[in-house]
Amino acid sequence: MSGPIINWIDKRFPLTSFVKHELTDYPTPRNLSYWWNFGFLAGIVLVLQVATGIFLAMHYKADATLAFDSIQHIMREVNYGWLLRYMHAVGASAFFFVIFVHMARTLYYGSFRAPRELLWWTGQGLLLMLMATAFMGYLLPWGQMSFWGATVITNLFKVTPFIGEQVVIWLRGDYSVGDDTLTRFFSLHYLFPFLIIGAVIVHLVALHTVKSSNPSGIDLKDKDNIPFHPYFTAKDLYGLGIFLIVYSVFVFFMPNSLIEPANNVPANPMMTPNHIVPEWYFLPFYAILRSVPNMFGGVVAMALSVMMFAFMPFLDRSRIPGGARYRPIYRLQFYLFLIDMLVLGYVGYKPPTNPSIVVVGQVATFCYFASFFVVPFVSKMEENWLIKRGLPAGIMELMEREKRDLEARKEEHRRRKGDRI
Amino acid sequence: MSKLLKIMLLGCLSMSAFAEEAKLEKIQVPTDKPSIAKGAEDWINNCLTCHTMKYVKYRDLLSLGIDKAKVDGWRGEASLDTPLTAQMPEAVAMATFAKLPPDLSLMAQARDGGPNYVYSYLIGYYVKPDGSVGNHIFPETKMPDPLGISSAANAAERAEKQKTAKSIVTFLTWAADPHAGERDTLGKYVIAYLVVLSALLYVVKKQIWSRLK
Repeated sequence: MSGPIINWIDKRFPLTSFVKHELTDYPTPRNLSYWWNFGFLAGIVLVLQVATGIFLAMHYKADATLAFDSIQHIMREVNYGWLLRYMHAVGASAFFFVIFVHMARTLYYGSFRAPRELLWWTGQGLLLMLMATAFMGYLLPWGQMSFWGATVITNLFKVTPFIGEQVVIWLRGDYSVGDDTLTRFFSLHYLFPFLIIGAVIVHLVALHTVKSSNPSGIDLKDKDNIPFHPYFTAKDLYGLGIFLIVYSVFVFFMPNSLIEPANNVPANPMMTPNHIVPEWYFLPFYAILRSVPNMFGGVVAMALSVMMFAFMPFLDRSRIPGGARYRPIYRLQFYLFLIDMLVLGYVGYKPPTNPSIVVVGQVATFCYFASFFVVPFVSKMEENWLIKRGLPAGIMELMEREKRDLEARKEEHRRRKGDRI
Repeated sequence: MSKLLKIMLLGCLSMSAFAEEAKLEKIQVPTDKPSIAKGAEDWINNCLTCHTMKYVKYRDLLSLGIDKAKVDGWRGEASLDTPLTAQMPEAVAMATFAKLPPDLSLMAQARDGGPNYVYSYLIGYYVKPDGSVGNHIFPETKMPDPLGISSAANAAERAEKQKTAKSIVTFLTWAADPHAGERDTLGKYVIAYLVVLSALLYVVKKQIWSRLK
C-alpha cells in the first residue's frame, strides 16, 4: 500500500505493517480443508447477531408486562421486524452449530495440542460466554418456555454451598423469576456480546502467535504456507456463501422449526408447561444434568461436562501428530463421542417420565465422561502400538526430531543450572 | 464397539416406547388471500363471541381483500384499529367457564403440531356413551363443541363442518404469522441471489488458487 494518505497514517499508526503482518503476509497452511472455515463463519455470525440485536433492542421492551407484546409488535408492525427477529433467533442456533463444528474439527485434528493450548482455552471461555448470552437472550421473549427455562436454570444455583438461596435471589433480583430478572437479563444480554468481541480478539491474537494447525498435524515448511489474503479470504467467502444459503433456508422457510410452540404462549408463573426443554444446543448438557439423581451432583456434572474439553491438552498424551488422521483408535473415540452427544441430545429432548430414557441418559452420561477419562491411557497405548506397527517416515522423523529437541532443551537447562552453581 | 451397540440398542428401545401420542389429522393449509378471507369470516362467525385476537386489528382484515362494508358491519362502533375483541364480557366468561377463553392470535403456533393440532382439536369432539361431549385431542377442554361436529347427522354434514374447521385454521395460521407470504416470496429471491453469489465466489476462489503451483 502506498500513497500520501497511507504514508501519513503509517507515520502515526502501523496500518500497512499490520495489514501485511496479519493478512497479506500472514502464513497459512495451504492444505487447510473447508473444516477450517468455521472460525471465520463464527465471526460472521457474531457480527450478524450484534447487528440484528441492536435493531431489535430499538423496538423491544424489557418489561414483564410489555415484553411479549413488543415481540409481536416487532413481528407484525415494525418494517421487516419479522426478518430481524427470525435472523436473530435462527442466528443463535447457527452460532452454536458453527461453534460445535469448529470444536469438533479441533478435537478431530488435535489442534488443541501444544503449542495451541491457550488458543483452545480462550475458545473454551468464548463457549461459556456464548452459552450465558444465549441463555439470557432466551428469557427476553417472555414466553412460557423462556420463563420456566430461566426458572429451572437459575434454581440450579441453589446448590452453591452455604449461600445457595442468596445466590438464586441475587441472580433473579427477586424471589422468583420476574420483572427484575427480565431487565437484568436484557442488560447483560446486550453487554455480553461486546465482552465476546473482546475475547475473540484475544483468541485471534493467540491464533496469530501460534498460527493455524493443519490436517497433516505437522508444522509445514515455509514453501507450504501461503498468505491468508487473497487465498483464504477467497475460500472463506465461498464458504460463507454456502453457509448463508443454509441459514436463509431456515430464516425464510422454516423459522419456527427451532422455536418451541410453548414459547408462543405468554409467561404464566401460575402454570408450568407439561415439559420444560431447553434449546437444542443445550440438550446434551441438560440430559447430563438430569441423569444424575442428586441435584448437587447433576449441576457439578453439567458444569464439568462443558469444561471437560479444556482438559484435552493434558489428557491426550500421544506424541503422534495430526489428531485422528494417523490414529485409528482416537478416530474411533471421536466418532463414538459424537454419537454419544447425539444420544444425550435425544435424551435431553424427551420427558424423563419413561424409565428406559432415564437409563439411556445415565449410560450416555457415563460414556461421556468415560470417553475423556480413557484418553490418557488409550492415547499412550495407541502410540506404542502404532510405532510398533510402523508410521509414515515423515511422522516418525518429526517425532524423533521433537524428542531430540526436548532432550536438547533439557540438556541446555541442566547446563545453565550447572553454570550458576 | 460394544458400548456403541448397547447405546444404539437402548436408543431403539426407547424410540418404540414413545410412539404413543394422540394422532393428529394432517392438513394442507391454504395460503392464498381468498381462502384466508373466507377463514376470517368463518372465524368471526364461530369464535369471536368468546375469543379475542389482540394482535389482529379490523384494519388488517381489509388487507386480506375483505369488503369494507362487511368489516364495518363486524366492528360496529369500534375504530378500524381496534383489535378483534371477544363479544362476551370477561366477567361473563369467567362465570361460565371459570377461566378466560385464550387469545387466539398465536394459537396456530402455540401447540405442538401447530395448525394440525387446532384442526384435529376442532373436529375431535364426540358424544361419550353417557351422552356428554368429549374431545379426543384435548380431553380437559372447557370449550363446548363450537362447530357442533359431535352432533353432525350424516357424513355430508360432517364434511361440511370439517371444511369450516379447515377454513378457521387457515385464518388462524395467517393470524399467527401474517408476514409468512411475504417471507416466502422474499426468501426465494434471497436464496436465488445467494446461489448465484456463491457460484461466482467459487469461480473467484478457483481462479485465485490456480495461481499456486
